[in-house]
Amino acid sequence: MNIHYYPGCTLKEKTTNLDDSTREAMAVLGYELVEPANWTCCGAEYPLSEQKISGLTAPARILRQVHSEGGGQVVTTCAFCFNVLKRTNVDIKRNPLKNKQINAFLKDDIKIDPNTKTKTTGFPPYNGEVDVLHLLEFLRDEVGFHTIRAGLKRDLSGLKVAPYYGCRMLRPGGGIGIDSPDSPVIFEEFLESLGCRVVDFPFKQECCGSYLAVSRPAAATEASYQVLRSAIINGADAIALSCPLCYYNLDRRQDRIKDAHAGFSGFPVFFFTQLLAWALGVAEDVLGLDQHYYNPKSVLHNQPKTEVAQ
Amino acid sequence: MMGNGKKKKIGIFVCHCGVNIASVVDVERVAKELDGYTDVELSTDYVYMCSEPGQKMILEQIQERGLDGVIIAACSPTLHEKTFQNVAELAGLNPYMVEIANIREQNSWVHTDKEKATDKAVKIVKSMVEKLRGNEHLEPIKVGITRRAMVVGGGVAGLQAALDIADHGYEVVLVEKEPSIGGHMVQLSETFPTLDCSQCIMTPKMVEVSRHPNIKVLTYHEVESISGFVGNFKVRIKKKPKFVDEDLCKLCGDCADVCPQVVPDEFNMGLSFRKAIYLPFPQAIPGAYTLDIDSCLGLLPVRCGKCKDVCDARAIDYDMKEEIIEEEVGAVVLATGYDLYSMQALGEFGGERYEDVINGLEFERILSASGPTGGEVRRPSDGKIPKNIVFIQCCGSRDPELHNSYCSKICCMYTAKHAMLYKHRVHDGNATVFYIDVRAGGKAFDEFYQRTVDEDDVLYMRGKVSKVYKEGDILKVRGVDTLTGKLVEMEADMVVLAMSMVHADGSGELMKKLKVGTDKDGWLAEAHPKLRPVESLNAGFFLAGCAHGPKDIPDTVAQASAAAAKVGDLFARHELLHEPTIVPVIEELCSGCGICISMCPYGARSLDLTKHVVKVNEVLCEGCGACAAACPCGAAQQKNQTDEQIFSMVKAILKG
Repeated sequence: MNIHYYPGCTLKEKTTNLDDSTREAMAVLGYELVEPANWTCCGAEYPLSEQKISGLTAPARILRQVHSEGGGQVVTTCAFCFNVLKRTNVDIKRNPLKNKQINAFLKDDIKIDPNTKTKTTGFPPYNGEVDVLHLLEFLRDEVGFHTIRAGLKRDLSGLKVAPYYGCRMLRPGGGIGIDSPDSPVIFEEFLESLGCRVVDFPFKQECCGSYLAVSRPAAATEASYQVLRSAIINGADAIALSCPLCYYNLDRRQDRIKDAHAGFSGFPVFFFTQLLAWALGVAEDVLGLDQHYYNPKSVLHNQPKTEVAQ
Repeated sequence: MMGNGKKKKIGIFVCHCGVNIASVVDVERVAKELDGYTDVELSTDYVYMCSEPGQKMILEQIQERGLDGVIIAACSPTLHEKTFQNVAELAGLNPYMVEIANIREQNSWVHTDKEKATDKAVKIVKSMVEKLRGNEHLEPIKVGITRRAMVVGGGVAGLQAALDIADHGYEVVLVEKEPSIGGHMVQLSETFPTLDCSQCIMTPKMVEVSRHPNIKVLTYHEVESISGFVGNFKVRIKKKPKFVDEDLCKLCGDCADVCPQVVPDEFNMGLSFRKAIYLPFPQAIPGAYTLDIDSCLGLLPVRCGKCKDVCDARAIDYDMKEEIIEEEVGAVVLATGYDLYSMQALGEFGGERYEDVINGLEFERILSASGPTGGEVRRPSDGKIPKNIVFIQCCGSRDPELHNSYCSKICCMYTAKHAMLYKHRVHDGNATVFYIDVRAGGKAFDEFYQRTVDEDDVLYMRGKVSKVYKEGDILKVRGVDTLTGKLVEMEADMVVLAMSMVHADGSGELMKKLKVGTDKDGWLAEAHPKLRPVESLNAGFFLAGCAHGPKDIPDTVAQASAAAAKVGDLFARHELLHEPTIVPVIEELCSGCGICISMCPYGARSLDLTKHVVKVNEVLCEGCGACAAACPCGAAQQKNQTDEQIFSMVKAILKG
C-alpha cells in the first residue's frame, strides 16, 4: 500500500539513517512511502509571530501538493516537520483569517506544464483536507501496535529503552501534539510492542537544547546532558527518539558533553524507526548505526540479561 | 383610537440633567414640539427632574391639572423610574401611568449632532406618549410568604446564615450532604492572620446550630428538586440512609473496631484510613456513626454483619432505605462551598504521582493537632520530617490558557500561613514559596505576610515552576526565578501545591436542579456585582460563601450574615408585591401550541389540559416578554406593552 510521506530536508542530508530505517521498516509492514512531487523545506520552525504568515506558505504548498495527488494523509517522522505541517494545517482549518491569507499567497503560484513548459496560475484553494500524521500515530492507528508485535523477528526483551519525546511531538496541546503534553503514552506503547522494556524518566518531555546548539552551545550541552543523565540514572540502556535535532544534540554532540562532564562516557541513542526496523528483521547495515557518534550497535547485540521478573 | 377611546391628559417633563442631556439635546425644543401633541395637556422642561423641586413640580402639576399620565424624558428607567412612580402615587395617580422616555443613555450620551439628537428625542418622547395612551391602571400582585428558610451547605457559611436567620426568629432547615456539618473550615489547622485554632472557633458554632430550637439539621441529605417561587418554595430532599439511628448511637465505637473494611479517610484528605462504619471526626455533629454503604461489604448479615452484632445500643438498622422528604420554605440560602482543583490536571507537578506532593488541604490536616500526624510536620511517604519544603502558589489559578483564569484569592495568605507554621514546627527547616505576586489585601494580612518573610525566614521566590520530578528519594523542583531571569532547580522533601479553588457543585447538577444562575466558571452569579452581591437573580435565592466565588473566612461569614439579613428582610413583609407587568393569556386567541412554554425561562407557563390553553402563574412571570414575542396567535400580550401599543410607538417614530 502506498502512503504519502514527507521526509524533510534533514532526512536527506544529516540523518539518512532515519529516512532509510523508516522506509525499510514500513516496507516490511507492507507500506511503500511516496514523496509528494517537488517538495520543499517545511520551514523547520513554525513562525513565532502570529502575524508572520509567509512562514506558513511553504508547509501549505506541501500539503496542497499531497492533496492534489489524491493523498488524504501525509506521514512524517521528523518531529520538527510534523510540528510545522500539523500546526499550519490546523491554522488553515480552524482560523478563517489565516486560511484566507495563506490561500491569497498560494493562488498566485505558477504552475509549469512539464511537457509544454507553459506557465499558468490559479491553483484551487487548500482548506486543510490532508491529515498530518506522525509515524507513531500512523503505526498506532493505521498499522496497529498488535500487528508490529505479531511481526517481530528479533528479540529486544533485554533492552531497557527510555522514550524521549522532546518538545515538538507533544506541544502545543489542544489537538496538535500527538499525545497529552503532560502524561503521554504513545511512545511507551510503541516500545512495548517491540518487546522492549520501557523506562520512564522525568526528562522525557524536557527540551534537548534545540537551536541553542548554535547560539549558546554550552546551554544546549547542559540541557542535553540533563536528559541523558536522567535516562541513565533511571536505569535505561538506551534512548529512543524521533527528532533529528534531538538526535544531533543528544548523540552527535556527546563529545562536548564528555568535555563538560567528566563522569559521562557516552550513551546509545536510537531513532525509534531503527529499533522498529531491527525488531522487524531489517538488515543491520541499512540502519545507519555507523553514523552515530556513539555507535549503539553493541547494545542491540549484547542486550543486558533480563533480570528475573519479581 | 387608543386608550379606550377616551381622551387622556398627559404631562410631559423634559429633564436637562444639568448638561448631560441639555448639551446635546435642545430640551426646550423637545418640550415645545410635544406641546399640543395628541392627548398632551402640558409639556415643560426643568434642569433636574429628580431633584426635590423637580419632583414637587410634577406632583403639583398632576394634582392641579388632574393629569392621568406623565412622561419623564430623562435618564434610563433603571435609575429613576421608581422615584417618579412614587411621586405619581403621592399625587394620587396610578404609578403604572408613569413612563420614562430615555433621552440620555439612548440619546445624548451617544450622539454629538444637536439637531439630529433633538429630532430623535422628540420621536422617543412621542413614542412614549403613544405607549402611555394605551396603558391601563395596574396593581401589584400580592403573594403570601412561608416564613421558613432552607440553607444548603453546612460549612461555616451555611452555619452562620442558619444561625442568623434562626436568631431572627424564623425556622431554618439546614441541608448538608456529608454525614456531619462543619465543611472545610473544621479541617483547617489554624487560620490566618491570627492563627486561631480553626476547630476551636468552628465547633462551638456547630454545637450552637445543633442545639438551636429554630434549626433542623439534615445531614447526609441532598436537595433533589425545588418548585414554586419566592416565598413559596416546595423542596424535595433525598435522605441518604446512614444505617445508624442518630438518637440511639452512643459513640462507643465498637462497630468501627470490628469493621473489616478499611478505606481512605475523607476528613484527613486520604492521609489516614477509616472503617466503612465511621465517625468523620471526634466533634462531628450529629454525633453518630455512619455506615458508608459504598465501602461496606454488604448489608446481608451472612456476608458480614459484625457491626450490628456488637452494637449494644441496637442503633444499627440495615433496613434503612433512601427516602424523599418534602419541606416548604420561603427562601433558600445557597452555601454549597468549594473544592480544590484536581492535582491531576497539573501533571507536571506530579501531585498524583508522588506521595509527597500534596495540596493545601492535605497540608492543613498534617498541621492540625487532630490530623494524622498529630500536628507534627511529617511527609506522607515515609513519615520523615521534611527539612526542605517548597510551596507553589497559583496552581491552576490565573492561567487563562490551560486552567482557571481567576485568582483563588486565599492561597497567598494560606501559603504564608503554611510556611510560617512549618517554620514554627521545624526550626532548622527551609521553606521556599514560588509566587507570581503576593496578594495580601485584607485586614492585618500584609503584616502577616511580612512576618512570614522577615521573622520566619521563608524564602519567597518570584517565578513559575515548570516541573516537579523525583530523583531517588528527593523531589526536584525546576522553575524560573523571574527576578534574575535564571533557571532554578531546588531539592525538596515535600512540595505543597496551592491548588485553585473550584465550586463544589462539580458538574453544575445541583444549580441546574435549582435553576440558579452561575457565571462562566460555575460560581453562583449575583444579581448585581456591586449593589446586590448576596442575592441571586432568581428571586428568593441568596448566596453565601465560596459557592459564590473564592473567599476567606471573614468574608464568608460576612456574606452569610448579609444573606441571612436579606432573608429576614423578605420574611419581615406581610406579603410580597410582584410587578404586575406580566404576560397573561387571551384564552380566545390561544391555540395551546405551547411555544411560549418552551420560551419561558421562569417556568411560569403551563398547559391547562382541560381548556387546552396556556395558563400563567402570575407570580413566577417576570415580564421579560419572551413569550409575547414568540406567540404566533397574539394571545400572549404583556400588560402595558401590548402589540397594539408597540405598533403605535413604531408608527410615532417613523412618522417623521
